[in-house]
Amino acid sequence: MNVGTGDKGVTSLLTGERVPKSHIRVEACGELDELGSVLGALAAWLDAGQDAVRREIGWIQEQLLHIGAWVAGGPRAPSADAVDVLERSAELMEKGLPPLQGFLLPGGHPSAAWAHVARTVCRRAERRVAAVPSPEALPFLNRLSTYLYALARSSNHLHGVPETQWKP
Amino acid sequence: MEAVRPVPGSGAGKPGWQSRVVRVTPLSGSAYEVELERPAGFHFAAGQHLRLFVGDDGRDYSLASPPSAETLRLLVRRIEGGAVSPALVGLPPGAPLSFSGPHGVFALRPSARAVILAATGVGIAPFLSMARAGASGFTLLHGVRAADELFYRRELEPAAARYVPCLSRQSSPGCFSGRLTAWAGAELAAGTARDFYLCGNRRMVRDLTLLADERFPGSRVYTEIFF
Repeated sequence: MNVGTGDKGVTSLLTGERVPKSHIRVEACGELDELGSVLGALAAWLDAGQDAVRREIGWIQEQLLHIGAWVAGGPRAPSADAVDVLERSAELMEKGLPPLQGFLLPGGHPSAAWAHVARTVCRRAERRVAAVPSPEALPFLNRLSTYLYALARSSNHLHGVPETQWKP
Repeated sequence: MEAVRPVPGSGAGKPGWQSRVVRVTPLSGSAYEVELERPAGFHFAAGQHLRLFVGDDGRDYSLASPPSAETLRLLVRRIEGGAVSPALVGLPPGAPLSFSGPHGVFALRPSARAVILAATGVGIAPFLSMARAGASGFTLLHGVRAADELFYRRELEPAAARYVPCLSRQSSPGCFSGRLTAWAGAELAAGTARDFYLCGNRRMVRDLTLLADERFPGSRVYTEIFF
């Protein structure tokens, strides 16, 4: 909640420290915030047959808030169980897809295109969190990129949009 | 696309504990103390809050009880037309109630710095919990409109190294006449870093945070906003 204490470019971490908004932890939290927003845009493109994925994305957004609190100095480390959930979900999605033949060009159905955008934002968030450093948060972000790649492919498959292979 | 897997609920914002009202006690004006049965297995730290549900609507309330208490006490401001507080303070003893929690990280941290606690109105609840849990030696600023809103003054004053009641709409012996922020602006001279714990309305939280930045560089500032 904005109470106007940051008008001079200073904000609070959950450790109580007052730090400049350019602080590495604030930067990492901002990247996680952006990732959550992009996931919201992705969810807006899912159709009625993807309700389960929509719920899952809502859950991921909650996990990102937990991770943000941890990166900001909060007391509770992210759950290791959440990493397993992501991993298994990605595996389930991949099972119904043709094997990868090489690099794919991001795009296709809007939901798939947004999943690719989310994946790249996720990788940037991961890099910022790694720089904090906050190693407890990294497994979830690493698996989330995999999950989003599987989701992009799965979404194109569902909508009958062919994948475009990179031909170097 | 097929359903991938049912996601585990975080439970963060959903009712998870069942309780019953022990009693609702009017404190003054629109403020009430709501006492609830403590469910077996429910643990919290002094300064944390619950989310109480009336129907589908939930609102956050800080615990005023110490972590060792047998019941859970909350300070509730009845908000006219509110979705939760009017119904909550009207509940009879024995009425069932659900809540989630504990939530929040607003707890005293070990520190060698001087501690300043500041609350407006029912924002005193977490500090009451901390004092009841044995915290002492702090400076406590409590801003209210009139002297009868200085809930639990007799309990808090002995725990504090310095207790400053501030009345914004009344004069009373032993109290500062004016807002808490006016007292702080006039009396808190610049010095070394402190630990500030601020709980109350957003204007107080903003003004004291900015004062901490200006006069006490390097301070830690912990906040909890009450409406």
